[in-house]
Order: sequence, then structure tokens, then C-alpha cells
Amino acid sequence: MFARRFLISFPIFVAVYVIQETIVSQFRIFGSGFSLFLIFTLLWSALGTPELGALTGFGAGLLMDLSQSSSGPMGQWMLIMILAGFSISYLGFGDDNFRGNPISLVVIVAIAVPITRLVYLILGLMFGGQLGSTLEIFTSLIASGLWTVAVVPLLMPFVTRIHSGLFEDLSRG
Amino acid sequence: MRNGGDNRGRLLLISLIVTSLFLITLDLRGVQVLGGIRSGSQTVLSPVQSVAATVFRPVGNFFSDVTHLGRTRGEIEKLQAKNEKLRQALINRKNADAELAQLKSVLDLAGTAKFKVVNARVISLGSTSSFTQTISIDAGTNDGVRQNMTVITGRGLVGVVKMSYPNSALVQLATDPAFKVGARVAGSQQIGILSGQGTGKGVLQLLDNRTTLKVGDVILARGSQHNRPFVPGVPIGEVTSVDNAAGEITQIADVKFFVNFASLSIVAVVIGAPQADPRDALVPKAPVPTPVPTVTIYAKPSESPTP
Repeated sequence: MFARRFLISFPIFVAVYVIQETIVSQFRIFGSGFSLFLIFTLLWSALGTPELGALTGFGAGLLMDLSQSSSGPMGQWMLIMILAGFSISYLGFGDDNFRGNPISLVVIVAIAVPITRLVYLILGLMFGGQLGSTLEIFTSLIASGLWTVAVVPLLMPFVTRIHSGLFEDLSRG
Repeated sequence: MRNGGDNRGRLLLISLIVTSLFLITLDLRGVQVLGGIRSGSQTVLSPVQSVAATVFRPVGNFFSDVTHLGRTRGEIEKLQAKNEKLRQALINRKNADAELAQLKSVLDLAGTAKFKVVNARVISLGSTSSFTQTISIDAGTNDGVRQNMTVITGRGLVGVVKMSYPNSALVQLATDPAFKVGARVAGSQQIGILSGQGTGKGVLQLLDNRTTLKVGDVILARGSQHNRPFVPGVPIGEVTSVDNAAGEITQIADVKFFVNFASLSIVAVVIGAPQADPRDALVPKAPVPTPVPTVTIYAKPSESPTP
């Protein structure tokens, strides 16, 4: 049942991924803009169980690794997204006050996005990547958090509705 | 896990992490496990990206212009004056004219250097989350574009082809932190290495400590063996400041790129270069001030009538 519902959610992720790669990537806005796919994944993970968060991170990380603009080795995004998905769902798991409060979700996702990107950067450096301008990285991380604060409230009604439609019974059980 | 901390959950988490570590290890050892899928996904996505670029690029350009408003205020004022005259003609053709201008300038540059080029449109601006600076173009292996080819615009160096797919290619921009190119100073021929910094400026480090740089020096690509990844003589940028710190072994300078990476739409991939190095032939011409005609008025006192 769990696996079936997870597989049903996969096309939704593919659709968001295609939107990210084809439409969102056309815009170069302040602070390198935002990653709709990353925000969507973390928001989705925050609403589920830790197992689901880890699985969601696995699938999302795989798609992010398949992106042609992904500079790291295959599996780097996957590893980070598994940990991010697990962590963000673990933080709110079992606390209905937390999940029921939209502000909590906005804040947790807005914090999680820059942290996820920072971990990606650090792991990339360990794999021999280049750092570039520290100021630019700092600006980009701060901006990604701010963009997330703006984007999550727009996404939340759709994500919570789809998520509850697919997983509500399971998470209650 | 707080409530669901059963063994199954832990086992799942560990299995997923081990899978990802396994993939990373294979990739770092050069085994392209999912390379075919990555290439295939790009082949599928590139036509959609191409359509999306046509539809959404004007909106993207709007956001880009807003972002760079402070920096380009002077240019905007000039353009506003021009726009006033050309408004009617630009209403329907603004985007097409801009692309045509970029195409013409890149062909001019390629023609001067006798480069054989393939023109391409920018169809995507790369990832926003992985700190890399890349673009995707709509020319690929079917057009003769291969890995490690130089990418230029009419103003100079854009970057280098990192990956090529049948109908598209990924270009690493010169602003990418991992980008490095052998460079030389036009005129004095001093050589050094220019690195991207993730911003609109690069850093040039000279290789010889007996030479000096000065603000305004034009930096050109030095060229690689067999012209790959870099063809020689392509303009890169202009020195804007020189670091004369006593502790440095050789001079370091900030270089402002000639290319405006925020508004790339047409680029060219150099697929063939002549044997002869164009030397300094591609150095941008300094703007020539327009002569202002001087009007001389001779005042001649009128003859006052004598009483």
C-alpha cells in the first residue's frame, strides 16, 4: 500500500521537475532565484513520515542528479536529499500542532532549503569542487531562504491537498 | 524515530544512504551508471526547454533587467531615449532584433578570426541550487558540437562546452567558480590564468613575477593545444583593478568580462579554427568620440549712424 502510494506520487515529482528544468530555469532573478523542485520536495517530506521523507528524498535526489546542470557526481544530490527529507519529516512527525500550522511549515522549509544547499556545497568541496566568491554564495543562500518564504505559501495549498489525498489514511494508521 | 522508530524504517534509511554512497563511489571511479539516463532525459527535455525559452524568455529578461537596474541605470537611460524613437518598430520585433544583433556580432567576431562556428540559442540557464554557472544551448552533436569547444558571443568568451547531447549542449560559463582559462594580455603578451568567481568578474593571476598589469589592459584567451577547449585570441575582459600586495608572488587582477552573462540569448560554438593565431585582431576597438562641429560666430559691430 505504502509503496503503491509512493509510486503514484512519482509522476507528480516528475511534473514539478519538468517545470523546474524548462520554465523556472528561464528566470535569472535576485540571488540565483529559487529551486521550485527543492522547495516542493522538502515541503512534501515535511508532511509525511520519516520513511516517506527518506524515500521522497531518494526519488527527488535521483531526478536532481539526472539534471544536466548538476555538477557533482551521480548520487550526491540523492544522498543529501535522503538526509534532508528524513530530517525535515522527523522534526515534525507526530506533532499535529506543528504540521497543522502553516507558519511552522514555511519556517522549517525556509530554513531547510539553504541548509540543504550548504550541505551540497560542503560535500561538493569534499569531492573536489570549487568554492567561488564567498559573498556570492552567502547572498545566494540567504536569498534562497527568502524566496522559499515567498514560494511556500503559494505551493502549500496544492501540496497539502495532494499529499493528504494520497497519504492521509496511511499517516493516521 | 520519535514514534515510528521501528527497525524497518532504520533499515530503509540505511539502504537508501548506502545506495547513494554506492552511486557516488562508482561515479567518482569513472563508472557512468546513470550517464545514459542523464543523456536520455536531456534529449527528451531539450525540445521542451526550447519551447519554454521562446515563451518565457521575455519574462525572464524582465526579471533580469529588474535585478540589474542599479548597475545599468545609465544604459537604461540611453536605451529609453532610443526606444522613444524606435518604439513602434520594436513592439513586435524587439526580441527578434536583439537576437539578430547578437548573431551578427558573433558572426563578425568569428569572421575576423576565421573561426568556423555553429550558432545556437540559449534554451535554459542552468541549475539555481548547485552553485554552478551553466547554460543549455539548442545545438548538439548533430550540429557538430562536441565536449571542450569554445563558446563565444560577439563580445567575447562565454565559456566551454562541458557536455554535448544530440540536440543540445551544456556550457560552463566563464563566471563558474570551477572555470579556468589560460589568458594573455593584449599587446604585452604576458600570460596568466583566469578563474571564474561566480560573479561578473574573474581573477587573473600572472605567471611571471617580472611583469606588471595595469587597469584597462585587455585580456584574451591564450588558446589550447589543437584549439580545444579554447581557441586563441578570443577577448575575455578588461582589467579593472590590480592587487599589488607585497605578499603575492605574482600580480593578481580583477577582470570584468566583456560578455553580459545576464542577457545571453544567441551564442556560437567554435567547431573549427584556422592554424594561424589571430593574435590581437579581436581586441575590441576603443569607442571613437563623435566629432562635434564647432560653430564660430564672428560678431561684427554694426556701423552706428553718425549724428
